[in-house]
Amino acid sequence: RSDRSTHAAKPPFAMSSDNVAISAEFSPELRVLRDSNKEEPQLLPKESVQDMAKDVTYICPYIGALRGTLTVTNYRLFFKCMDRVSFVLDLPLGVVSRVEKIGGASSRGEVSYGLVCKDIRNLRFAHKQMEDSLIKSIFEILMKFAFPVSNGLTIFAFEYGQVYPENGWKVYDAQAEYKRQGLPNESWRITKVNDHYELCDTYPSTLVVPVNIPDEELKRVAAFRAKGRIPVLSWIHPESQATVIRCSQPMVGVNGKRSKDDEKYLQTIMDANAQSHKLFIFDARPSVNAAANKMKGGGYESEDAYQNAELVFLDIHNIHVMRESLRKLKEVVYPNIEESHWFSNLESTHWLEHIKLILAGALRIADKVESGKTSVVVHCSDGWDRTAQLTSLAMLMLDGHYRTIRGFQVLLEKEWLSFGHRFQLRIGHGDKNHTDADRSPVFLQFIDCVWQMIRQFPAAFEFNEYFLITILDHLYSCLFGTFMCNSEQQRVKEELPKKTVSLWAYINSQLEEFTNPLYVNYSNHVLFPVVSMRHLELWVGYYIRWNPRMRPQEPVHQRYKELLAKRAELQKRVEELQREVTNRSAASSSERAGSPTRSITPVQTFV
Amino acid sequence: MEHILTPKVEEVKLLDRYTAKKPAIGTLYLTATHLIFVETSCNTRKETWMLHHLIATVEKLPLTAMGFPLHISCKNFHVAHFVISSETDCQNVHQSLVRLSQPGKVEELYAFLYNPKQDEDERRNGWGFIDSAMDFKRMGLPNEVWEMTDLNKNYELCSTYHSQLGIPKTASKGTVFGSAKFRSRGRIPTLSYYHKESNAAICRCSQPLSGLSARCVEDEEMLQAISRANPKSTFMYVVDTRPKLNAMANRAAGKGYENEDNYSNIRFQFVGIENIHVMRNSLQKLLEVCAMKSPTMSDYLTGLENSGWLRHIKAVMDAGVFLAKAVAEDKVSVLVHCSDGWDRTAQVCSLASILLDPFYRTIKGLMVLIEKEWIAMGHKFTQRCGHVDGDPKEVSPVFTQFIECLWNLMEQYPCGFEYNEKYLLEIHNHVYSCQFGNFIGNCQREREEMRLYERTFSVWPFLWENRHQYRNPLHKCSLGREVLRPSTLPLNFKFWCGMYNHFDKGMQPKQSILDLLLTITQKKAESEKKMTDLQRQLAVMDGVLADQGSPTGTSPEQTSLSPVSVSHTAENAKPLMNGAAVEEAEIELVSTAGSEKMEPVAIEN
Repeated sequence: RSDRSTHAAKPPFAMSSDNVAISAEFSPELRVLRDSNKEEPQLLPKESVQDMAKDVTYICPYIGALRGTLTVTNYRLFFKCMDRVSFVLDLPLGVVSRVEKIGGASSRGEVSYGLVCKDIRNLRFAHKQMEDSLIKSIFEILMKFAFPVSNGLTIFAFEYGQVYPENGWKVYDAQAEYKRQGLPNESWRITKVNDHYELCDTYPSTLVVPVNIPDEELKRVAAFRAKGRIPVLSWIHPESQATVIRCSQPMVGVNGKRSKDDEKYLQTIMDANAQSHKLFIFDARPSVNAAANKMKGGGYESEDAYQNAELVFLDIHNIHVMRESLRKLKEVVYPNIEESHWFSNLESTHWLEHIKLILAGALRIADKVESGKTSVVVHCSDGWDRTAQLTSLAMLMLDGHYRTIRGFQVLLEKEWLSFGHRFQLRIGHGDKNHTDADRSPVFLQFIDCVWQMIRQFPAAFEFNEYFLITILDHLYSCLFGTFMCNSEQQRVKEELPKKTVSLWAYINSQLEEFTNPLYVNYSNHVLFPVVSMRHLELWVGYYIRWNPRMRPQEPVHQRYKELLAKRAELQKRVEELQREVTNRSAASSSERAGSPTRSITPVQTFV
Repeated sequence: MEHILTPKVEEVKLLDRYTAKKPAIGTLYLTATHLIFVETSCNTRKETWMLHHLIATVEKLPLTAMGFPLHISCKNFHVAHFVISSETDCQNVHQSLVRLSQPGKVEELYAFLYNPKQDEDERRNGWGFIDSAMDFKRMGLPNEVWEMTDLNKNYELCSTYHSQLGIPKTASKGTVFGSAKFRSRGRIPTLSYYHKESNAAICRCSQPLSGLSARCVEDEEMLQAISRANPKSTFMYVVDTRPKLNAMANRAAGKGYENEDNYSNIRFQFVGIENIHVMRNSLQKLLEVCAMKSPTMSDYLTGLENSGWLRHIKAVMDAGVFLAKAVAEDKVSVLVHCSDGWDRTAQVCSLASILLDPFYRTIKGLMVLIEKEWIAMGHKFTQRCGHVDGDPKEVSPVFTQFIECLWNLMEQYPCGFEYNEKYLLEIHNHVYSCQFGNFIGNCQREREEMRLYERTFSVWPFLWENRHQYRNPLHKCSLGREVLRPSTLPLNFKFWCGMYNHFDKGMQPKQSILDLLLTITQKKAESEKKMTDLQRQLAVMDGVLADQGSPTGTSPEQTSLSPVSVSHTAENAKPLMNGAAVEEAEIELVSTAGSEKMEPVAIEN
């Protein structure tokens, strides 16, 4: 009895009273605000101050002009306003896409600079013109360090030497991942043909291909596929053996060239799945674009040449259309949002339409594999942009493992990084050439699609929104090596795992922050999101996060955690009492035959 | 029953509203009160019930290959598309429904038939469950400046107002009656909400009969009295919720708005909420967008934009925010009116009250608010909801807009409300269903004349009994007296799937956070109960308690046996007692969440 009284003295449950929590966490600006009173930033290992300027004005589109001190390091831009409001701007230089001097010196002798950022904001500064023209303006220093690649400097990721408990580069091991999928098996083998990236220099070294096709034939198939990106297995259904295959377009050309090897190869892929006598080929492009590619030697599979195959076009536009769409979106949401015509302004960007098409395409793929038990081949032109979006989203729908934090990391490492999504070109790390036609928000669209799925299945993903935002922030930050280079071959050559830290090392060192408290392991469920316009929304938590009027008003994640913790605490108490009752009744069972304790069943662990 | 020509039709198809999947086949029944469709094509018995009075339109569509289509849409946005094989049957069902869905007189409404097996005492107590007069007491009335008057006890002052009205003490009887003569339909300025912390008040009325130049000394005195009741402020806002053009048009008809020159120390302001006709048409357009099978992004977004619906919701919210800010931050009293002061005024005043006072964010508080600002102040429910066959121009979704504003607020403050979305939908449903008497009649006097309190039941006790379903598991009381300051950026106003697609299962998100959380709270409650049981057993073993059923008395030892104090809400943080625990626990009903809803659905193309 006295034991129990001690329990009684305990408070019901001690929860953190830190209510600032989540809302502030989502905003990098605020986060810094809490732990810095100095003019200078807290420097990272190997980070060094390059220049500092007092009396710089930051023209904030929401608060107005703020005067403060600007610091430029080899990693970041740091602005701190010391007067009336405490305000901090802390921005990795990798986020900067372009720096431009706006106009000449003003009447007050001030020069103004505009920074266009990759994360949907533009910053504007002004400061006094240097009297001595030999002294470089801080913005010239900034330009140097914001674009290290163009200036013959090293990207900061190669200098950053932070040590984390886990080596993030070990998160993905292709062999282990295929083993998890049950590969190799009687129909599929792992080939070494691309060990030295000789078959295809943009593919990973580990490839899964049909057992019956020897390496020699693979080389002939490679000759018929753009950039040698042959059809290989991405995912296999654990029960039906239906597979998701990815590749690039066939080199059909204007004359309708055919390849017996390629045709036989796809037939073999179809035969590897006994459940279906059909094969679906999903060409991500609009049919017009696919046809236009014939002029450049590319094209698509004709149904005459590929018997039993059905070709479907998914109408997803190319990287240039997507880049333009994001540009328009930025215009609509940053810095201010017009009070009227919100929906037509949003409509004019077509952003959500693109998101819808991508999700709808992935859904059709997943549905064919799951419900139709049919293998699918997915390609676009080169098979590294739209194809990566489609296969990874379909796999996210089909396989619960990818919906865990580590599984998602594996999915990115596999479908995006190892299969050669050209991150360096699409993002332009450290490159001042902001007008490069290779830039495109392909990966951002994928993450947006994942967010749309999280909204529809709030308990099916182990990670939260903050996880996705963190990935996007470090896509640009150049702090980690994860998104450097264009292919696995380049990463090996640059010795990225040796010379840089992986983003996953950082993330896995503080999983708590990225965990969805409502997560329930629905690993055996296939998620089919609704892709109707009614259920797609603009991701305001990302695109409009700089607008102070959009800050989340209540720390709802904190409440989820509280609720779950309370329930867990209760369960624990119940179990304790249960044990006590059982022990006690066992001890006194002879005396108390009528004791009711026997009828009590143990409490299940819920959720 | 004389209107039912064919009580039963077999082999009826029910089409899915959005997808082309195989229609459900079943039997259609017409009862005195409901249309019931019983699906026979699937293994589990599935029933669809539609109350006749909820039906807004019944339409026969052109013959298709499947048969004779009958399209039914309800006031709660339930839409059903049946196909009947025989033309006669279709014709008969159509004819019956047209008649049944539009009762000629109020007495035909469901509430007069509905009997929840309560006796007279229970019925009477039920009607007393929510007393809007009590709410004025809660606000601190009467006090040194405000009093409750029964000048309207025989509805002589104003026939559409409640009998109990809050007015400033300094307003004499002459002032009140004089002012009533100068206000449209005698709807004088009367207290809606008194903000204790600032002494500022929200008052409501109808437009003044100012015409082009008319004045009324008593009305000017009345406003002066309201303004002076808040000594800290030198002025008062008069908010006309109409667009300026509309208000000016009213002047020609001898009505209009206050001239700042004639009233001392008022600041006059228009907030531009459109009238009932604009709102009715806007909803119609919204529903057209909603009915599109697979809209492109262009169709959908421009459709939403052109319907204007969300812009109207925003306008109401903006006005509510203006009022709340004036009262709480500027500490200035506000007088609100529109034309008659029973539509836009009701919306804006009740919304401001919710922003200002957390009481209205509780389950019971919302009942009080609806009773006070809508029912007692004469929102014309019978006409606006089209309960009986009448002028279609009087029908307008004014109350729906209020509920939608509330939902938008809840989206921004997920922990700020004790109730959840289901509660809003349930109330909305009852407003239109007429199962209970509360929302029948256009004003208090009409309700008394109809003897509703003797002939029908009140919905509030019924909702209260089921409150566990309507609770928001995230609700946090500790927010205290916090005034809500929602963002009214246009992107905060979203299409409400939960309302407009409530009955389209395929359109619902696959997993609902609310259902998940309700499951969690249910498990929590189960654990609590289990814990109490176990503690009891231990007590029995220790010989503290007799080995028998539920406990009766409480001894000091017993109290000490309840070690963990579980506080659901800050105010009822009492130690967990054996019997009490079960009563207090939030045992939630859980709809089939989780795995079942995760099943694959057909792809919408």
